[in-house]
Amino acid sequence: MEIVLLRGAAGLYLAATVAVLAGLVVRRELPARALVWLLGGGLLLQASSIAIRASRVGSLPVATLAEALSLLAALLVGLFLAIQLRASLLALGAVVVPTAFGLTLAASVLKGGAQPLPPVLRSVWLPVHVLFAFLGDAVFALACSASVLYLVQERRLKSHRGRGALGRLPSLETLDRLSATCLTWGLVLLTIGIVTGIVWAHEAWGRFWIGDPKLVFSMLVWALYMVLLQGRITAGWRGRWAAQLTIAGFAVIVASLLGVNLLGLGMHGRAY
Amino acid sequence: MTQEILLVGLSHRTAPVEVRERLAFANGRLEPALRTLVAWPGVAEGAIVSTCNRVEVVACGSDPAQLAAELPRFLAHEHAVEPALLAGRLYTHHGREAVRHLFRVAASLDSMVVGEPQILGQLKSQYAVAAAVGASGRVLHRCFHRSFSVAKRIRSETGIAEKAVSVGSAAVDLAQGIFDSLADKTALLIGAGTMGELTARQLLAQGTGSLMVANRTWERALEVARDLGGMPVPFERLSRYLPLADLVIGAAGGDAYVVATAAVRDALRERRGRQMFLIDLAVPRSIDPAVHQLDGAYVYDVDDLDGVIAENRDARAAEAARAEAIVDGEVEAFWHWLEGLDVVPTVVALREKVEAIRQGELERFLTGSVALEPAQREAVERLTRALCNKILHAPLEALRGQQVGRGDEVAVAAARALFGLDRRPATVGEDEED
Repeated sequence: MEIVLLRGAAGLYLAATVAVLAGLVVRRELPARALVWLLGGGLLLQASSIAIRASRVGSLPVATLAEALSLLAALLVGLFLAIQLRASLLALGAVVVPTAFGLTLAASVLKGGAQPLPPVLRSVWLPVHVLFAFLGDAVFALACSASVLYLVQERRLKSHRGRGALGRLPSLETLDRLSATCLTWGLVLLTIGIVTGIVWAHEAWGRFWIGDPKLVFSMLVWALYMVLLQGRITAGWRGRWAAQLTIAGFAVIVASLLGVNLLGLGMHGRAY
Repeated sequence: MTQEILLVGLSHRTAPVEVRERLAFANGRLEPALRTLVAWPGVAEGAIVSTCNRVEVVACGSDPAQLAAELPRFLAHEHAVEPALLAGRLYTHHGREAVRHLFRVAASLDSMVVGEPQILGQLKSQYAVAAAVGASGRVLHRCFHRSFSVAKRIRSETGIAEKAVSVGSAAVDLAQGIFDSLADKTALLIGAGTMGELTARQLLAQGTGSLMVANRTWERALEVARDLGGMPVPFERLSRYLPLADLVIGAAGGDAYVVATAAVRDALRERRGRQMFLIDLAVPRSIDPAVHQLDGAYVYDVDDLDGVIAENRDARAAEAARAEAIVDGEVEAFWHWLEGLDVVPTVVALREKVEAIRQGELERFLTGSVALEPAQREAVERLTRALCNKILHAPLEALRGQQVGRGDEVAVAAARALFGLDRRPATVGEDEED
């Protein structure tokens, strides 16, 4: 049942990808409106799939990579919908929606039998830690998307080619601000994610520092983004440099997400 | 008595400006002219479109030939010009073509600069005058209102109006790619010549927050700043003011670059990286092209802007083709509605249908029953005819009651549906929109 719902969600996200690209090319109202409904429908299916799995394993389902990817996609779509309903940023969808589709497709293809959590990890910290950490990842994904668009728009302007047929990308200022806002919130969420993780680890094993690769990666991302935010605030880092750093930081996140889990390193590798 | 739509006029395509300006209806003259127009022989409804690029009279009347002859006379009379002046410069569009022409004008497909946005506003305000004095009736009302929504549709469904095709609008367009809103931005005009002033004016018209004006002669800077509502700044201390400028319009020629790379680098540092958009209108150039290499600075010179404009022109031409297809569809829809208003075919069809039924039944009766005396035959004939006429009397009266001018499309559609006159869907038009 969950897998059917998940495939349905992937199908709707695929349709949403088509809608968002069509919306940018043919510039009619319809695709933009359809996009919201397709994403909303997909999110509903995905959330149901996650909820069913959760009731089966008795906790937030993040024990396998497939479950983790699905949760991440759902959070990403939810965040994008929240932004889209406030201010239409169709171009942002052109990056975010295919990403969500890819994540969901991967989640539905990967073999994902339900895995119960080891008893030592059963704790109220599980949903708190995982949700904050994942929300942080999703918000950083938005920051990264905005930065990618920033680089596209900036390249167009630098190459003197006018604004072209790509539809109207948001202005550099808008993209820069969106990226900065997401960066700030992402850092807050990531900080909470790291702290709750450490507390949870202490509760489970009686140690604060478990030398987990995931933690190392997270601290690296945290430090990188902290420097970037600091630079933005005090030294006025903006523009291309800030966008490139944002994307680099997200590359580390992706590497830790895939690397740690696929290679099965540390605690996050065995039980996500 | 159906009504024809006719459009007579001249435009930038057929007449030079000396002729157009003599025929233009200034704002105050539109109202009396419209009153004269509806009193003119053969004119049932009328409206006038008058812009700097065109003067057109749209009218409805029962005799198109008469209208075609009278409307040029009306134009010549109103402006007291020799009819010979108009000869060869007026075009006349009948019926469907007149509707198409109006739709194309509203959508700015017939404009000198295709896609320019002013024409729709002008059309709306001038039609409002025609409606206010009662010169237009239901046909023109529908026709103009359709033209407004066609224009809106084309504006939103095609990119025809999106691409900037003048230096000023290209600059505004590019600025919108950099800045979120122009309202909190400051522009710095360096060199207060005509070209620079024009571009600054356009930036202000598009909502740029404030303006600084620098010029080699201080008096000229003062003058232009006063004209545009800006602030004059001393030319010698330009670099002091550069960090305040989000947009820079370089229009001061000279041997050396007025805006040097080092100055912009310092300005960007002081601005903490906030972007700067620099437009170089001067030849030889006034802004060092190397500024463009700085992160956060975007320099467009005249050739760059020309390139953007040329690209946009091509894109507009492609979009115009899509717009024409939309116009075609809308003309057909309007025409369908207009034909639905026509009572005569419905009256004829109704009579023919009932007569066919009478003939058929009569024949069946006469062949099926005993032979009748000629006198009896005659009586049956009379009886059936009278019966039919009595039944048809009320519906025909109702239809004819609408026949003065155009009919009521609801009555026509009802008659066609109730009597099964055709199997095609009833021709009730879409709701009129205001």
